[in-house]
Amino acid sequence: MNNTFNINRFGLLLRRQWLDFGKIYLISLVVLLGIVVGFYSYSIPSPFKDNNFDYNGNLDMRFRYPLFLILGFVFISIVASSYFNILGQKSRAILELMTPASIFEKFLAGVVYTAIISLFSYLLIFYLTDLAFVKYLNGHLDAFKVLLPQNGAIREVETITYQVFNDEGYRKYCGYFFAFPFLITSLFLLGSVYFNRFHYIKTALSVMVFIGLASYLVVKLSIWLMEGKVANHHNFRKEDKDWVLLTILLVTSIITLIVWTITYIRLKEKEV
Amino acid sequence: MININNLNFGYSKHKPLFKNMSMRLSNGHIYGLLGKNGAGKSSLLKNLAGLVYAQSGTLDVMGFNPAKRQPALLEQICFIPEEFYLPSVKIDAYLKANAPFYKNFDHSYFTDLIKEFDIPVEQKLINMSYGQKKKVIIAFGLATQAKLVIMDEPTNGLDIPSKAQFRKIMASAMTDERCIIISTHQVRDLDNLIDTVIMLDENDVALKASVEEITAKLTFKKVKEIDDSIIYAEASLSGYNAVMPNYHQEESKLDMELLFNAILAEKIKFKPLFS
Repeated sequence: MNNTFNINRFGLLLRRQWLDFGKIYLISLVVLLGIVVGFYSYSIPSPFKDNNFDYNGNLDMRFRYPLFLILGFVFISIVASSYFNILGQKSRAILELMTPASIFEKFLAGVVYTAIISLFSYLLIFYLTDLAFVKYLNGHLDAFKVLLPQNGAIREVETITYQVFNDEGYRKYCGYFFAFPFLITSLFLLGSVYFNRFHYIKTALSVMVFIGLASYLVVKLSIWLMEGKVANHHNFRKEDKDWVLLTILLVTSIITLIVWTITYIRLKEKEV
Repeated sequence: MININNLNFGYSKHKPLFKNMSMRLSNGHIYGLLGKNGAGKSSLLKNLAGLVYAQSGTLDVMGFNPAKRQPALLEQICFIPEEFYLPSVKIDAYLKANAPFYKNFDHSYFTDLIKEFDIPVEQKLINMSYGQKKKVIIAFGLATQAKLVIMDEPTNGLDIPSKAQFRKIMASAMTDERCIIISTHQVRDLDNLIDTVIMLDENDVALKASVEEITAKLTFKKVKEIDDSIIYAEASLSGYNAVMPNYHQEESKLDMELLFNAILAEKIKFKPLFS
């Protein structure tokens, strides 16, 4: 018997975890859908509202970007933070740790649920809601024509997905931030193993303190090492920007992998 | 089946619970684990199941180190904790999700046990009484056909008929390949069930002896007066319940409660008898 990884056992584990995690997860998806629909209903342009157009004269759908980012952060972090929180309860932790699956399989199931399924379902829900509202608006464009001087033409509203994938700038920059959602889920997954109570708050606080300290140290160290020694100018070469973005991608990916490794080790060391 | 060598364990370094504890447990036995509150009964069981880690020493359970929590060992351990959790599903769903992890799981035996315990199968596990839930996890644990069965206070929460059922089921579940360890405060619940007594006290094993060995070396009887031959006695309505060396190979029934109190009170006097 392979005591580290067995695909059948892993499949059984995913199915078993769904028994507990699945119900709460489905409820949270319904809540998420409600929130997205609520925000869209409140924020989409309406003939009864003023300021329906953006600076390009298109129907103003700019609220989608902050909504997507903020809600996405909140949703995936809450899901990740709640996955291993059962290990903080003695009775549930015993059941969890005594399940005949390896620690690696249990950890991997956590990653699948928090980093893959939660992210994918969030994107799907947001995409479908956005698509539905865009279709609705495009079906009622005539209602907005009267608001324009001399009944001018209105361009059809594009879905957020279409905008992102058809704009070279968006496409390019989004790629560099690919690892960010995984970094967020990895941090909150670690918090759910590390802390026994108040996982979310404690993780958020720890991350804030860590980022604050790390930023302070990096700035101070950079000043100490480079002040007066490096030419200071604003004429960045174009390719320098790409290096910065590439560094962001690499650093976030590496930190994510490190945090997942720490989570695995903490899970291994977990006692009841 | 289980080898414990120089086990040192504690929840803090300054307060050790076990100091250089060594013990060997074999299959084909039902061990009764006794001890005062805080003596470390549950902690010893958790060490055996790999739920906590020893500070030093070695633990060998069926050739595995339980601290590694390997699936091959986990599927051979049935751990019934004192506090347990069952999800909000019916028995069928619970079975579907958990039984496939145990390749020897006996579905018909599980059904028999559920019937014998009179569990309402249509009810959700979370809505059952504490006693019913306990019966479900005992039935599930035994149906896994695990070789090592660890039970922490299994009779807590069971009503009087269920305790009798429990004794009957445990006696029938015993096989030559199995090792059953039951920790309890309610020693009378385990009368006639356990064959070996393990008593924990002062960071170590105060007594580990089979019921046969105990009754061969000690005799338990009621006496009117106390004399020098008595190691320990407790006043009762009709005199004293006494423990004394069994010099004349008398047959007597082990009074576990009396033995427990006697060992705690007169540990030094018992040591030469069971060393």
